[in-house]
Amino acid sequence: MNLKPDSKVLVQGITEPLGSIHAARMKAGGTNVVAGVSPGHGSEKLHDIPVFDLIEQALSAVGQVDVSVIFSAPFEACDCAFEAIAAGIRQIIIITEGVPPLDMVRLVRKAEATETLIVGPGTPGIIIPGKLLLGTHPADFYTKGPVGLLGRSGTLTYEIALELTNAGLGQSIALGIGGDAIVGSSFPQWLQILDEDDHTEVIVLVGEIGGFSEEAAAKYISEAIDKPVIAYVAGRHAPKGKRLGHAGNLIAAQISAGNPDKVSPSGADPETAQSKISAFKQAKIPVADRPSQIPELVKKALKHGVKKK
Amino acid sequence: MDLLEYQAKELFRDMGIPVLPSQRIDRPSDLKGLKIPYPVVLKSQVRAGGRGKAGGIEFVTTTIDAVAAAHRIFNLSIMGEYPQVLLAEAKYNALQELYLAVVLDRAERRAVLLGSSQGGTSTESAMEKMQRVVVDEDFSPFYARRLTQKMGLRSKVVISVSDIIERMYRLFVEQDLDLVEINPLGINPSGEVMALDGKVTVNDEAIARHPDLLQLAEKIPTVEGSGAGNDGAAIATATRNEPVSSISSCLGGSLGAPHFSKLDGNIGIICNGAALTMATLDLVYLCGGKPACFANIGGDTRWDLTPDDFVLRLTQALNLTIADASVKAVAIDIIGSAIDCNAVAAAIAACVQQSGRSLDRSIAPASSVTKPLNGWDSHHNGFLNGFGEISEGPALNFDLRQAESDSASLFSESSQPQRHGGISLIVRLCGTDLEPAKKSLAPLNIPVVDSLEEAIARAVAYANKI
Repeated sequence: MNLKPDSKVLVQGITEPLGSIHAARMKAGGTNVVAGVSPGHGSEKLHDIPVFDLIEQALSAVGQVDVSVIFSAPFEACDCAFEAIAAGIRQIIIITEGVPPLDMVRLVRKAEATETLIVGPGTPGIIIPGKLLLGTHPADFYTKGPVGLLGRSGTLTYEIALELTNAGLGQSIALGIGGDAIVGSSFPQWLQILDEDDHTEVIVLVGEIGGFSEEAAAKYISEAIDKPVIAYVAGRHAPKGKRLGHAGNLIAAQISAGNPDKVSPSGADPETAQSKISAFKQAKIPVADRPSQIPELVKKALKHGVKKK
Repeated sequence: MDLLEYQAKELFRDMGIPVLPSQRIDRPSDLKGLKIPYPVVLKSQVRAGGRGKAGGIEFVTTTIDAVAAAHRIFNLSIMGEYPQVLLAEAKYNALQELYLAVVLDRAERRAVLLGSSQGGTSTESAMEKMQRVVVDEDFSPFYARRLTQKMGLRSKVVISVSDIIERMYRLFVEQDLDLVEINPLGINPSGEVMALDGKVTVNDEAIARHPDLLQLAEKIPTVEGSGAGNDGAAIATATRNEPVSSISSCLGGSLGAPHFSKLDGNIGIICNGAALTMATLDLVYLCGGKPACFANIGGDTRWDLTPDDFVLRLTQALNLTIADASVKAVAIDIIGSAIDCNAVAAAIAACVQQSGRSLDRSIAPASSVTKPLNGWDSHHNGFLNGFGEISEGPALNFDLRQAESDSASLFSESSQPQRHGGISLIVRLCGTDLEPAKKSLAPLNIPVVDSLEEAIARAVAYANKI
């Protein structure tokens, strides 16, 4: 990750409903949004940001950019990311949710080959309070401080940020890895980044049911993370068989012979909150029962300092 | 979403995967025009597994038997689902049965080929022998051959089974599927292969770009017990219960209706965002309450969601919630960066005012309801004190009797005090422009708070009092 307060930011899908709202908010908050891309809107201006048909046209006007934030329609999002990679952009945030998983499989392969960092899809993006906003985070819920906040999707991450801020605990960075079934970067990847980040003293990980990201995170934390981590998992009482709205909540696919990839460290039903909570507890990571409990656990962790290995 | 067997087999046939001669049966009398020679197999076309054990598959040798069997199968519900179609299929003598699948592995972020030399109805033995090959680069047929070798196949079936796997993979990618499964793949004494049963799961995010799959999906009956929604998401075991009606709402990027699910408590929950909805439900239980229903009106990463659409979805969700007679208290929890608090407050006020008449019909007689205006807070003092800040008295109230006397114009057709119970709302909103929202909801006795846990605690306390 290479993000600075003056990083040059491109917004793809800037004329779409969500893109337009948030490009304006990002710019108003001081983020250096240098250009937008929306096919068919070249040579227009939106919120005083020049709009181009193609990234290469944008770059020849404003120079190389550091990061692209994508708000385009789900079926176009991966093409936008491919275009960004082709233009040499190596940090990409896909805000749009509902990107077809097989598009992401192709994109992830390309990202690995080109060492491109992808966040999302289905993510609120990244905020470095007081410095940089790349996505949909409500900046006024955040304040500078020592907590690295790592979630999956938007509104629950904001909720936890607000709890922290109200308790006087600011954030070094906050981001969601995305609510979609296949996402570009994982909890372990971000845990590693936050572990190495000088401004982060403690990490709060906000999980939810579905998939195995939290189990993988718990394993990685016990093996490789030196800083203290606090976890919270939403969905303890999520009724089975009811739809809530994230593709990420969906079991990858239900093959009739069962899924051989399902391994739950606890023996609890895989993908459930219980499985995730016991994975964290086995890794000796404190788990908050409710959002308001997170600040006290964070304060306790800050007092004890670096985790004893 | 799972396609039915006959639909999966149509896709197989188009992809050159061998399937038996078969005929779709819409009603028992169709069997009189059967073109396949007896003996045939009649198979119930439901999405549930275990059809054979449930009696949904029968071998028949004559037309008379076939018609009788068809009557039985059409009237047999398997896991709550009646077939609308049967499949009549030729019989096949398999010497060996294999299991094959192509599936997406979320952790690997790759397609995975699965195969077992022990296919058929015994899933346990299939699992024991299950082999997997990750397709970590662009697909090439050697991945399929690698799987056959891990499965222990030898001689000329290596070629024929590899060919089937390759075609399954092509189908998987071309149609954006979550799963292509053949179980069993029969191998007859002369070494020929045949897909005897198959399952295809369509990806809900991608189906809108496959008009042919949309057409198939529209033929699948909706199973009772599923909520409505359009994001193509379910929790854990829900894949079998997903409503087909949700599919059409994906078309053209339209937003569709908000997710709305029914439970058996007395608190209505409306939230924006799936994870926040789950966290809010958890809080309701943690505070000792039980949700009657919950609605997720959508998070803030939908590319096409405008603020107007957001308010419209809130209105839809609130109307459904208020119309639910079991709902005694409603907690609305909205957080985000582009939320217009005034518009949200206005929409809530409009909903509540317009719903007056339907509430009259759906709520229990006044005699059975404790008057909610007095004392609920003192009753639950110990509990609420845990949250510290409940000081503004009996605020959590939207009692219709009270509202009518406060403002008769709200319910213009109510000429006298009605016989109905109260329903209470509490709204959690965040942001800098909260004061106007608070003011506009105050006349309706709907408090606006900025703490989620306070909102839930108060809603639970009220609902438990009733």
